[in-house]
Amino acid sequence: MTVENRYDVIVAGAGHNGLTAAAYLARAGMRVLVIEKNDWVGGAAVSRSLHDGWTYSNCSYVCSLLRREIARDLELPKYGLQVIPYEGGASFTRDRDYFAYYSDHNALKREMARHSAKDADAYRGYSQGIMRQCRFIRPFLLRDAPDPASLHPRDLGELAYLVKKAHGLGSRELGETLKFWTMSIGDFLDEHFENDLIKAHLAGSGIIGTGLGVYSPGTAYVLLHHYMGDIDGGIGAWGFARGGMGAISNAIAASFKDHGGTIHTGSGIEKILSKDGRVEGVALEDGKVFYAPVVASNMDIKRTVLHHIDAAELPDDFTKAVRNFKIRGSSAKLNIALDRFPNFPAAPENTSFLRGDLHVSQSLFELEKAYDDWKVGRWSEKPYIDMLIPSQIDPTMAPTGAHMMTVFVQYAPYDLEVDGVRSAENWDEKQRNAMAETVLDQMSVACPDIRERVVHMEVRSPLEIEREVGLTEGNIFQGELTFDQLFFNRPVPGWSQYSLPIKGLYLCGSSAHPGGGVMGAPGANAARAILKHETRHGRMKGYAA
Amino acid sequence: MSQFDAIVIGGGVNGLVAGTLLSRRGKNVCIIEKSNRFGGMASYSVDGGPSLAHSLYNLSPRVLSDIGIDPQHPVLSGKPVSTVSLSEDGRHIVFKNEGIFWSEGTKHPESDAWTDLTQQLITYGGLLRQLAEAPPPGGQKAILSRGGLNEFLRLAKLGFGLKKLGKSEMRRFLQVVLSNVHDIVLDDLPEGPVAGMLAADAIWGSATGPRSPGTVFNLIYRLGHGGHITQPVGGMSALTDLLVEAAQKAGCVLMPETEVFRILLDDDAVSGVVTTDGRTLTAPTVLSNLAPKLTSRMTGPSVFDIETMRRVRNIRARGTAAKVNLRLKDGSLLPGLPDELARERLIYAPSVEHVEAAFNPAKYRQMSKAPVIEALKMQTADGASWLSTIVQYAPTDLEGGWTDTAKDQLAQIAVSTLNLALPGLKDHVTNTQIITPDQIENATGAPGGHWHHAEMSLDQLLTLRPANGMCRYSMGPKGLFQCGAATHPGGDVMGLAGRNAALAAMEATP
Repeated sequence: MTVENRYDVIVAGAGHNGLTAAAYLARAGMRVLVIEKNDWVGGAAVSRSLHDGWTYSNCSYVCSLLRREIARDLELPKYGLQVIPYEGGASFTRDRDYFAYYSDHNALKREMARHSAKDADAYRGYSQGIMRQCRFIRPFLLRDAPDPASLHPRDLGELAYLVKKAHGLGSRELGETLKFWTMSIGDFLDEHFENDLIKAHLAGSGIIGTGLGVYSPGTAYVLLHHYMGDIDGGIGAWGFARGGMGAISNAIAASFKDHGGTIHTGSGIEKILSKDGRVEGVALEDGKVFYAPVVASNMDIKRTVLHHIDAAELPDDFTKAVRNFKIRGSSAKLNIALDRFPNFPAAPENTSFLRGDLHVSQSLFELEKAYDDWKVGRWSEKPYIDMLIPSQIDPTMAPTGAHMMTVFVQYAPYDLEVDGVRSAENWDEKQRNAMAETVLDQMSVACPDIRERVVHMEVRSPLEIEREVGLTEGNIFQGELTFDQLFFNRPVPGWSQYSLPIKGLYLCGSSAHPGGGVMGAPGANAARAILKHETRHGRMKGYAA
Repeated sequence: MSQFDAIVIGGGVNGLVAGTLLSRRGKNVCIIEKSNRFGGMASYSVDGGPSLAHSLYNLSPRVLSDIGIDPQHPVLSGKPVSTVSLSEDGRHIVFKNEGIFWSEGTKHPESDAWTDLTQQLITYGGLLRQLAEAPPPGGQKAILSRGGLNEFLRLAKLGFGLKKLGKSEMRRFLQVVLSNVHDIVLDDLPEGPVAGMLAADAIWGSATGPRSPGTVFNLIYRLGHGGHITQPVGGMSALTDLLVEAAQKAGCVLMPETEVFRILLDDDAVSGVVTTDGRTLTAPTVLSNLAPKLTSRMTGPSVFDIETMRRVRNIRARGTAAKVNLRLKDGSLLPGLPDELARERLIYAPSVEHVEAAFNPAKYRQMSKAPVIEALKMQTADGASWLSTIVQYAPTDLEGGWTDTAKDQLAQIAVSTLNLALPGLKDHVTNTQIITPDQIENATGAPGGHWHHAEMSLDQLLTLRPANGMCRYSMGPKGLFQCGAATHPGGDVMGLAGRNAALAAMEATP
């Protein structure tokens, strides 16, 4: 054992959460090593150039959820992070009309009134309701989830905070909050709006990344998960990271390295070493071994526990609970290099909404049917797509005059059904291309010339996402966002506070509270837990929350 | 001076219970029912066929004792009914208290796993029953008032009960109760008719599928009184007759074939009702067994604030279960089923995925072509043999409406589905009787023909039932209460909603 391979903390996985945890710990004066299996860092927050001249945000593609406390603490702007807000968005109809979403309230109201006067009136109440829920939930993101079965002062303290916040709402508002958290986005929208297109446009955020349909209870919460972020204080606003989503990871990594951190790329973790219930270090696939009294895993809980730890080291009921943890692959991704800007015949010239998120779903029923296809192992016949062309705002993404398009596809199953057999192995090139054709058909509702514009296209099924990023089943949240897997139930009941049953082993990825999205909160919270439990003096430098 | 102390609108199970309880506490009560027989949805039947509800599993012993019915009464001492999950290969699975067995008598390999899971859910059901037997928590009461203290004690008792489960069980409870039945069942059991039966028991009467979060709660609800199923001796109408008898004994004035036209208001308090035949009945307290929407129609919307009306309008109640009664040839046995199982509760739900797939069309206003079915063989008073079946899913808002063709189609689907597991059944059926959800609505007033008057989903339960801000039975003007299945804890021939509402009314006007 030499000094070179000994560290205070080893972080397994250089996703944005792993890097965030590492950066906080390095700032607190610890000697931290981050291990990454790929040759690059970032996990699912990554920019890669797969076709000369174009840069793709291969996985995650827009930014809003990243906690501003974290950006401030880690001085991310100083290390090159620039987030450019984008405006608006639209859903196109099959008969060359559209519903455009503007961030300007009056413009939006006029546009809504064009489709339904009643809905234009209802929007105010709807958006106020959502905003209230966002305000309620945001303070919880950077706190621990209390264990309701524990009488530990820490848990009682967190529980008291929750009760205080809930009580502060007043009984009427508390009822509305409980209702909102438990209802489906479909029912919630049906309560407010009548127009199918408007409802379909607003519903998308409730199902992105989940194995749920728009009428599944709990999807209203998932919507919140996409609204509770902010850009420069504008709650619910979304933006592009200049240079692609990899810019976020790169900024965190730079901040980490600047404070003495080390990143080891190109070889993944083979095994997390432990002895007598205490973690000792990690063995890598390339045979290297590193030692540390603390290991934080950025991998999802299933991968961490079921693939990289000796089952004998863990209690059986814990392993069983992890095995039953639901991580369902439901999304695919197309990254497209375009020779020039595609033609959107329905859109007026020089309109701003093309710079936002574009969709072609016509109704809640169409979205729900897309979910039904997924349940039986097929990609949706009419998938929900979320397409953006970031190169309009960020010229670094494509050569001059050319453009880059990112298309998120919901739903695509991990275990694809072919000839009666459901298996991830079925995702061969033929199936991938067939899915891409389905998606291109769907896209041509908005831009009929899309096929002619394609210079290069990367098609990623859940299997590719799993293989490259390591996310089990390619689930973008490292675990379903359902009630039974949120808050004190995340990832499994009794282990919601980042530590795991082996002493010194922590979870710092989105499998932990508060869950996925390029948020950084699990990483920051895990770093706090590590400092609290593993150091005498605790207290992270510069930690604002 | 009012004629009555309280008027109950609607003589369904909950209305009868509420009226009887108030009478027994010394109130002068009148129960008004628009049809010619009491019992509402429970005993509703067409031309002497099997009634809408055909078995008991949730009737609350607390309700029985409160309204003075002996739990050992002959009507209630029917033979317990076991459940049989039908299989197309003829190897049916019998669920008994002591485990599960193949129809030929040998133990089923999933017996232990099923017993463990069911026992766990029954334990949770026992805990939740404490909540069902009182108004939901979270009212406006000051903590130091008597009601406030009682509520606090009740919650403390529940907390203590949870704590007594032990740390890991308590955590498991908080996870399971929010989960969906698809995941919870398939975590412990392989896919197949055993898992399918559990999934089916979680969705009867509701517009959800096994994958919908919150469905485990419905299963627990069903098991809240231990999960034992019985058939009342003499049929469901014998039970409702028993309730009517109890009401009369307690001194209630029963008014069948009387329809309420309007609830009368005097300033901000109710003062009685006007019937459609022009009679005015006065009382300072009115309990409505109807769903909130119908109740608000009887008072007129002006007595509620706009938020309340919006919430009432948004209560989801979309009935998805149809009743299909199959008249069997006299003396005929059920083909493919051993004699001793012929009187058990038969379930056709070959797998969880089957139940989920059956739900899909219902979302889009279609009937399920491969439905989930519960069937119970019985004899009606005239000695006729029937197979009384509940067919899930047949949505109330069927596209194109429930025409005769649609009804015929539903009957055919039901028969041919059952015929898969009971080959030859087709030839034993001489006649069919179809009661669709919209027909249930027309006959009983239940919105959407929904068994619980309001969907039992997590966002419409406890404090949020029937809607936020009206969970404690009182509604709008002073003296107006709801006592129907739309209120906490819900329907199911349980009687607790009526009982809780009566107690709330007593508390408000001692």
